[in-house]
Amino acid sequence: MIGNNFKIAVRQLLKNKLFSFINIIGLSLGLAVCIVVALFVQREYSVDAMHTRNIYRLDEVQKFEGMVAPQKVALSMFPMGPGLQSDFPEVLNYTRVIQSEKMPLGYKAKKIIVPSFMWVDSTFFRMFDFPLLKGNPQTVLNGSGDAVISESMAKKVFGNEDPIGRMVSWYGGDSTEFIVRGIMKDVPETSHLQMDMVASIPREVKADYAGSWGGNWLVTYLELSDKANTGKLEAQFPAFLKKHLDERAAKQYELFLQPLKDVHSNSTDITHDYVNYQKFDKSNTYAFIIIALIVLGIACMNFVNLSTARSLSRAKEVGIRKTIGAARLQLAQQFIQESLLFTAIAMLLALLIAGLFLPYLNTLSGYRISYAALFKPLPLCLLFLGTILVGLVSGAYPAFYLSSFRPSKVLKGSLKTGKHKSFGRNVLVVSQFAGANVLIIATVFVIRQLNFMQTTNPHFNKDQVIAIKCRENSGRKYMELKHEFLKSPDIAYVTGSFQRLGNNLHQTGIRFKGLGEERSVAISHIRVDRDFLKLYDIKVKAGRDFRESDHRQGFLINETMAKEILKDTPEAPIEKLLGTPFGYEGQQKLGTIVGITEDFNFNSFHHQVEGLTISYADSMPFTEVSVKVAGNKVQEALTFMQSSWKTLVPDVAFEYTFLDEDFANLYKADAQLSKIVGILSGIAVAIAALGLFGLATYATEKRVKEIGVRKVFGASAHSIALLLNRDFLKPVLLASLIAWPIAWMILRTWLTNFAFRIELNVWVFLATALLASLIALVTVSARSLRAAWANPVSSLRTE
Amino acid sequence: MIALNHIYKYVNQGGTRVFLLRDISLNIAQGEFISIMGPSGSGKTTLLNVMGMLDEADEGEYLFLDQPVKALKEKQRSALYKQHIGFVFQAYHLIDELTVYENIETPLLYKDYKSSERSAMVCEMLDKFNMVAKKDLFPHQLSGGQQQLVGIARAIVSKPTLLLADEPTGNLNSQQGQEIMELFKKLNSEGLTIIQVTHSEKNAAYGSRIINLSDGRIEN
Ligand SMILES: Nc1ncnc2c1ncn2[C@@H]1O[C@H](COP(=O)(O)OP(=O)(O)O)[C@@H](O)[C@H]1O
Ligand SMILES: [Mg+2]
Repeated sequence: MIGNNFKIAVRQLLKNKLFSFINIIGLSLGLAVCIVVALFVQREYSVDAMHTRNIYRLDEVQKFEGMVAPQKVALSMFPMGPGLQSDFPEVLNYTRVIQSEKMPLGYKAKKIIVPSFMWVDSTFFRMFDFPLLKGNPQTVLNGSGDAVISESMAKKVFGNEDPIGRMVSWYGGDSTEFIVRGIMKDVPETSHLQMDMVASIPREVKADYAGSWGGNWLVTYLELSDKANTGKLEAQFPAFLKKHLDERAAKQYELFLQPLKDVHSNSTDITHDYVNYQKFDKSNTYAFIIIALIVLGIACMNFVNLSTARSLSRAKEVGIRKTIGAARLQLAQQFIQESLLFTAIAMLLALLIAGLFLPYLNTLSGYRISYAALFKPLPLCLLFLGTILVGLVSGAYPAFYLSSFRPSKVLKGSLKTGKHKSFGRNVLVVSQFAGANVLIIATVFVIRQLNFMQTTNPHFNKDQVIAIKCRENSGRKYMELKHEFLKSPDIAYVTGSFQRLGNNLHQTGIRFKGLGEERSVAISHIRVDRDFLKLYDIKVKAGRDFRESDHRQGFLINETMAKEILKDTPEAPIEKLLGTPFGYEGQQKLGTIVGITEDFNFNSFHHQVEGLTISYADSMPFTEVSVKVAGNKVQEALTFMQSSWKTLVPDVAFEYTFLDEDFANLYKADAQLSKIVGILSGIAVAIAALGLFGLATYATEKRVKEIGVRKVFGASAHSIALLLNRDFLKPVLLASLIAWPIAWMILRTWLTNFAFRIELNVWVFLATALLASLIALVTVSARSLRAAWANPVSSLRTE
Repeated sequence: MIALNHIYKYVNQGGTRVFLLRDISLNIAQGEFISIMGPSGSGKTTLLNVMGMLDEADEGEYLFLDQPVKALKEKQRSALYKQHIGFVFQAYHLIDELTVYENIETPLLYKDYKSSERSAMVCEMLDKFNMVAKKDLFPHQLSGGQQQLVGIARAIVSKPTLLLADEPTGNLNSQQGQEIMELFKKLNSEGLTIIQVTHSEKNAAYGSRIINLSDGRIEN
């Protein structure tokens, strides 16, 4: 029976080419999308999965006075780890991580840049299960300055020598030395910690910072006992803070614990999160899963719709089979087998499509998801089960419906596909187009939001700006470098700063007088060279730009900061603040405010503009140099700078980026999302349209005689096309109505991720409805016009 | 074999009850060859469908092999049907996607014969109907007479006791029709009970008894 059914299924498949084509294409696209998303999800869940201990990251909520919004940060204070371990028995271990990117390392005559270097505590390898090829994880970092190096980095530094016990030094900075005690396997891509070398925090550093409560510049991980209750522990943190910080400071912090597996996937709202490789929000992962299922669902609905729509052609067969002894169940089995065959073919095709699409996804995401991972026993099993499930889901109703025909009815040819049958079909068409519509609307707004962020004026000019990273020894040569660079006709400005724009700038305690009592707040702060505002074209709203005499004395603040200072007297003009005392919290004698700048978006448009203090002081080395290219001779400027750099700081690599690219990177996740949603909604629309085309084909076939009669009685071709199209337009328009509120709610939630966001304009909703109708119209017309133009005589004669 | 007692069948059309069969009482014994005649629309197909259990009477009693059909459970009825009844149609109603061989084999699949048994039974039929050479052809490659032969082969392959034929020669020329009738006569002589519907006096004469139907009633 099964073999026989299979044979018939194959013949049916070959005979009904349109039906087979639409279903196999639709199902294979739907399945391919699901396979790719499943690989992606599997990859997401494998991040940090290698660690077996009960590890949490210690995060802070900072609520400094003067901040526009409290912020969650991935940072903590140096003494917190040891303090927590000694105060709470359930804290078994802690390790701090201080990352230093592009660390220059010297070994004998060799100088090598280590892309990611980390200072850690000796417990690092006891807590995290990064496998060591050499060295004992319990003891490998026990000595001050003991280091573990990755396998491939060891090859680079030591070649064929055995690295164990060898000494390397921090090149260029002070003369810190490390002794290599272990070799670790290269860290896999699926780890939020990415490092090529780690070293134990030196004894002197530990001694210096042991009492340094207040500075947040490292990451702390805690290992808790298995039965620790994190809620209870967190509840004791306020008391812990009170014990170690003064009362005012304790109020500005909250501590919370983030499970290790959440660090990668649930940290989008956490800033200053620098030690978190390729973090990706799990809500986006969920969105992909849902969209993939929608796409597959649309394909399954095509199968159901088309199977029942062409039931007329199967009805006779059902009748015959029943008269020669088939039971309903046997017929249902036959139809289920047909849908299984379709799904199986679609699955094979889907594997092919997924293989073609995966490299694109990898480029887009920066991941290295392997296609080969699919061809292992467990995934293969899942694919097999998936095929059966999809086959059953899409085949069950058609099987139930088709097998219900009564031979005494259908063999007489009096089968009526009644109104309620096409009602069921319309419900599915409405669902398909509602799903597709939601996706189209979402795509449009996601792209619009992305465009908005990339094109909205940030109130400073980042075009043609080259950002150069400075290390300690190159920073010391800043003045000479600036002088040299400015000799080039292609360079307009050179300025220095202690942080780069495009970040959440660090906060510093600020003290000021304003118009009333003296107050202190903690506020974003950037220390710059005198011509910073000129280079970035930042407008001064009141007062003036920096002068030579402002060094360490004159301050600029932004409007938000000015408003914060004036919050008790909001009617006072900001000009009143010019000349009022202002400075760092620890400063003996305050300086003054010399100017107030326009608010500019130094951080991404995800965030509101925070209050900002800009100070001018070039006496300490800068870490960032910004160079504004005159005209557009970027390449010439770069070549010029590289040669000056070589002569002035020959030992340090010339590392630069274009600032507008840095900013584009802030929107990378949004850009990825928009591309993926865009592609998937395109696929969804295509599958839905294919289904509609199939339905239109069967509908017109069924009405061929009616059309013929109408034409004989003088109906015009376009009135007939209209008649046929109307039936399809109604469900598609209804689908739009259903899609609107759903899309609106989803997008409204999504847009709360952005402080600067677009409006949900009504016209986009209307336009997508129009677009969907247009797609439906074009698809259906391809069929109906042909029927309408056909010679009526031939269609009537065939009866 | 068949006993119909006061059978009525009707449909409700726009509030009025239209009778398709009225007060039909009929006894048919094993081995008979019955011809049902009557004008178009007189209810012949309806009566055949009721006797073949494809349709149910609305009133009256139907005994098949002394079993009350209406009272049987669906499962028992379909078992009875599968074991005893074969159908032949005017329009042949072969399955277009299946070859001659497969068309004849299909009823055996539903009756759970083993594959070796099936091929023996199908081959016997092909041989009996002189169609061995055509076994791999599809229905549209055959003439009408040949298609009807396949239809009959399919109906009797599983050795039913009752053959119901609804105008089996209606689409055939008189020579082809005659061949089918000769075949029926031979099958009848081998013990098969046959009930056929026909418009032709000549074909009706092959039967042992003629029943005239008019407006849903038996005329005598
Ligand atoms: N399900 C039905 N609904 C309404 N009328 C029917 C139905 N089935 C059959 N009829 C009508 O009943 C009459 C008898 O039909 P049928 O038994 O097919 O006649 P015959 O086979 O003698 O030509 C016809 O007039 C037919 O139109
Ligand atoms: Mg009839």
